[in-house]
Amino acid sequence: MPAITVDGLTKSYGETLALEDLSFQVEDGEVFGFLGPNGAGKSTTINVLLDFVRPTAGRVEVLGLDAQTHSREIRSRTGVLPEGYRTYDRLTARQHLEFAIDSKGVDDDPERLLERVDLADAIDKKAGGYSKGMAQRLMLAMALVGEPDLLILDEPSTGLDPNGAREMREIVREESERGATVFFSSHIMEQVEAVCDRVGILRDGEMVAVDSVAGLRESVSDGTVLRVTVDRLDEDAIGSVRSLPDVSEVLVEEETPPTLAIRVEGSKTDVLAALEDQGLEVRDFSTSEASLEDVFQSYTTEVDAR
Amino acid sequence: MNTETEAGTTDRGTTAPSSSINPESVRTVAKKDFQDSVRSWLFWGLSVFFFTLLVATTGAVSYFGEDLAAQGATTDVLVGFVSEITRLVIPLIALVLGWKAIAGERESGSIKILLSLPHSRKDVLLGKLLGRSAVLSLSLTLGFVLAAAVVAALLGGFDVVDYVGLLAVSIVYGIAYTSIAVSLSSLTRSTTIAGAAMFGVFVLFYVVWNTLSDMFMLLAERDVLFFDTVTATTEFDGEEVAIERLPEWAYFIVNLDPGEAYGRVLTLVTDVDTIELQAELDAELFGGELPFFLQDWFALLILVFWVVVPIAVALYRFDRVDL
Repeated sequence: MPAITVDGLTKSYGETLALEDLSFQVEDGEVFGFLGPNGAGKSTTINVLLDFVRPTAGRVEVLGLDAQTHSREIRSRTGVLPEGYRTYDRLTARQHLEFAIDSKGVDDDPERLLERVDLADAIDKKAGGYSKGMAQRLMLAMALVGEPDLLILDEPSTGLDPNGAREMREIVREESERGATVFFSSHIMEQVEAVCDRVGILRDGEMVAVDSVAGLRESVSDGTVLRVTVDRLDEDAIGSVRSLPDVSEVLVEEETPPTLAIRVEGSKTDVLAALEDQGLEVRDFSTSEASLEDVFQSYTTEVDAR
Repeated sequence: MNTETEAGTTDRGTTAPSSSINPESVRTVAKKDFQDSVRSWLFWGLSVFFFTLLVATTGAVSYFGEDLAAQGATTDVLVGFVSEITRLVIPLIALVLGWKAIAGERESGSIKILLSLPHSRKDVLLGKLLGRSAVLSLSLTLGFVLAAAVVAALLGGFDVVDYVGLLAVSIVYGIAYTSIAVSLSSLTRSTTIAGAAMFGVFVLFYVVWNTLSDMFMLLAERDVLFFDTVTATTEFDGEEVAIERLPEWAYFIVNLDPGEAYGRVLTLVTDVDTIELQAELDAELFGGELPFFLQDWFALLILVFWVVVPIAVALYRFDRVDL
């Protein structure tokens, strides 16, 4: 049984269409990265999962239950780190956690939870004095209350320093090993790459790709980019490289020093040989795989006319 | 990747099934809300102002009113005085305490913390009402006890039953206004709008409703529209006297004001001459027998109405909005 099923979800706010016919599934036990630029509809999707907002059309099931009719039961088995929240300034971390513990009817130890997120020092301080990073740690601790079957983390790295972000990923891994499903939204690819089994990329309210990180990388990089610095630029030479069967694209990337970017599927030595045959001197060359950021960019920006 | 739109798509628009109420959940929300709002400086500032006013007035009454004490009427005067103050001040405290209850949480986003946990929206509304009512009751009880201590110190004793009755009715009155405040607060996401709504309630009951009676009379004397007066005859010093009064429906409307109801319910629980006298005078206007809606028990119903109806409307509507 999938942990989350979103089927044909559409949500409009008046004239604005936030989500359009969105469908995807998150399998039980997986860590799913929900990726997209700001404003793509990630938070709206999460708000529907938690019944904060109601769909205009479509069906959403969480833990096998209808997200609207069984919201209470869903939320009793789910830990949430929401986005755009605000802690209760006048209450301490301990009081926040006691509230979550009471609400879920479990008997976790606030101190232990705060130790996990490295906030035990501030347990009796009022949350009003917390930094964004501390508030984020507190919310993560609240999400962990009661060993939830599903964790929904909306932009969990917000306000965390690199060390905090690493600890957060560590906790995601631990929770996943415990058997929890993790639904993790972010607008930064590199944060999901390290922990996610699969990634879904959302753009303008539509899911444009769902795959493993490796699969996504493969789908985007049609070959390797070879960068060659030569002594001069020559139209004939470029033409002859372009005519090679393995080469899909040749660009003049820079004039000084003259550099060519060549997208090539097969043998790179053929390319270099072709250039030298035309009397050019190859001074330097490098190859690069498509980076994850490239993958993300290619899905979330309009296809540019190269 | 996209499945067909038609199959498996149940379009239920933006309506949602109404949520359930879980007493345990309501209690948890109420407890948290109490912990939170009992630490509000604005609230305690207002409460201290209220205590001071109460203690000063009651102190003055019992100190300068020694003749009254001799006549054993002090508690009457005390309750009369105190009820005049509380009638004006309690709504103010309740509105200030309640206006941000829901709107504030929606504006800041802290409601996401509440509703990420397994509480229904109804639990949240009821918990808020309960929590804030508890804070208000605490404040009122403290104020009343302080005032009582001052009076007791000056007079050496007074009628506790009347005084406790006054406190009890004041708490119900306070809860009615808290219900109005929390409910209005749930209708909007903006604390500015919520604040304006609180001000509107204040103007409605303090200004508009208080002048309704005069306004009706003015219109009635000129026979404007359907306004008209009724002539009631009554016996006064053995003579038949004719009094012009408003028709019964006008009295009914005037008496829907929670403040008006508060005053009338006090006759039910206290035994204060000044308040009793007013009721008797009113009765004269109706030939000795008050219509049911001017009787004490109906005033209590009106107070209960103001507790129940606003929150009921909010419970219905808050289930159906996007946060």
